[in-house]
Amino acid sequence: MAAKKGKGVLSRPALVLGGLALVLLVLVIVFFTGGVGEKVKRFVDANVPKPPETSGAAAGAVKTVTLFFISDDDDSLHKETREIAVGPTAADEAERALAELVRGSEKGFLSPLPPQTKVRQVFVAKDGLATVDFSRDIADKFAYGSSSELAAVYAVVDTLVYNFEAIKKVIILVEGSERDTLGGHVDLSRAFSPDYSMVAK
Amino acid sequence: MKNLRISRTAQAAISAAVLAAVSVCLLLTASALSLSAQDRRIQTVVIDPGHGGIETGAKGRFGNLEKDITLAISLKLKTLIEKNMGFEVVLTRDRDVDVSLENRSAAANNRKAGLFISIHANGAVQKKAAGSETFFLSLNATDEETRRLAYLENTGNDLQTHIDPSTDDDLMMILWDMAQNAYVKESSRLAEFVQIELDSMLGLRNRGIKQAPFKILRGVACPAILVEAAFLSNPDEEQKLASDAYQNRVAEAIYRGLARFLKLTE
Repeated sequence: MAAKKGKGVLSRPALVLGGLALVLLVLVIVFFTGGVGEKVKRFVDANVPKPPETSGAAAGAVKTVTLFFISDDDDSLHKETREIAVGPTAADEAERALAELVRGSEKGFLSPLPPQTKVRQVFVAKDGLATVDFSRDIADKFAYGSSSELAAVYAVVDTLVYNFEAIKKVIILVEGSERDTLGGHVDLSRAFSPDYSMVAK
Repeated sequence: MKNLRISRTAQAAISAAVLAAVSVCLLLTASALSLSAQDRRIQTVVIDPGHGGIETGAKGRFGNLEKDITLAISLKLKTLIEKNMGFEVVLTRDRDVDVSLENRSAAANNRKAGLFISIHANGAVQKKAAGSETFFLSLNATDEETRRLAYLENTGNDLQTHIDPSTDDDLMMILWDMAQNAYVKESSRLAEFVQIELDSMLGLRNRGIKQAPFKILRGVACPAILVEAAFLSNPDEEQKLASDAYQNRVAEAIYRGLARFLKLTE
């Protein structure tokens, strides 16, 4: 009897403790998934079509973007304008602008990127950070020196930030992954701000 | 990208582990940085021959590879320094092998390098691009880092006590970033002297000193520069770079620049 009673008394705090632990666990899970959900939502948000832009795309509207190429005559980046289809998102337009950059100049400028390069995807986050994913050709098809590697990186970064208000900084990925450098020089682990000092006046 | 994958709450959860990691790397950084405060005398110079192994670097039209030319110049520079100065010289590679950029800067830090010189030969898309230039690190820092940096500059090398462990960035990376950042002024001065000598000895176009976010310079905890001896992509300069005489002149110019820098700082 006494033993039974004792057991009952003992089990009550144990139950309470167990209950508390369960509540804590649930809280932690909610906290975690809530956090992840927020991030995912934020990430997707920036790529969700905005109503005015969508209507523009439906009308087959075009916009003019400025691309940055190399000239054989100097070490600067040179502007060249190009028309691309509008919308639906800044990321879509950014992909088109970069595809045009890879396609090359129509005015005889040189390409800073290997012609085989494919723009796999561009993400634009709400905080202005664009993540650009290139095919491995961007790294494998050129034997970069410091100058050509700087030109390749900043042609991409300048093209994106110059044309798209939604983009403030750029991270470059290769084949979906982070990579040290394209060819042993320029650090790709950090986001790039544009460098217009390389652009011809 | 890392903060996109890791939620804010997950970061809070691992902050204890991060704290432990921070204290470890603070100790490492502190020992690396103590060089500038306690014993300014340089004992070891690290020379980094750019590229190597399957990583060839730039290629010339006549088939010369950047990795071979950088090694040749580096070996000549090593001989010059050892013969004329009392320093120990460490090469990040002494033959044609792959060495990751991280291992190169780690090697310099582990050997308590007093100066770090990375040797390269340039490459450009345009064939006419020509000349020599010397780089030091551009900061490309976030606003948060810039603020810490300003603080760091005002507090000398008291780095270890002023890092907020709750930051949501990759702490290790920032710490090592700051390691080079503390030396950016000296690095720019070293670059200046080396470039003056390159200009006077090589007779090439002087492209001057420049800043760039080069991976190899970022993690080095001492004055660090990257020398571009000439353009491999320019056929005239490629032939120069491949010649023994020109390689000797590049090594001599860097050596003289180094000597001028040391005279000033001693």
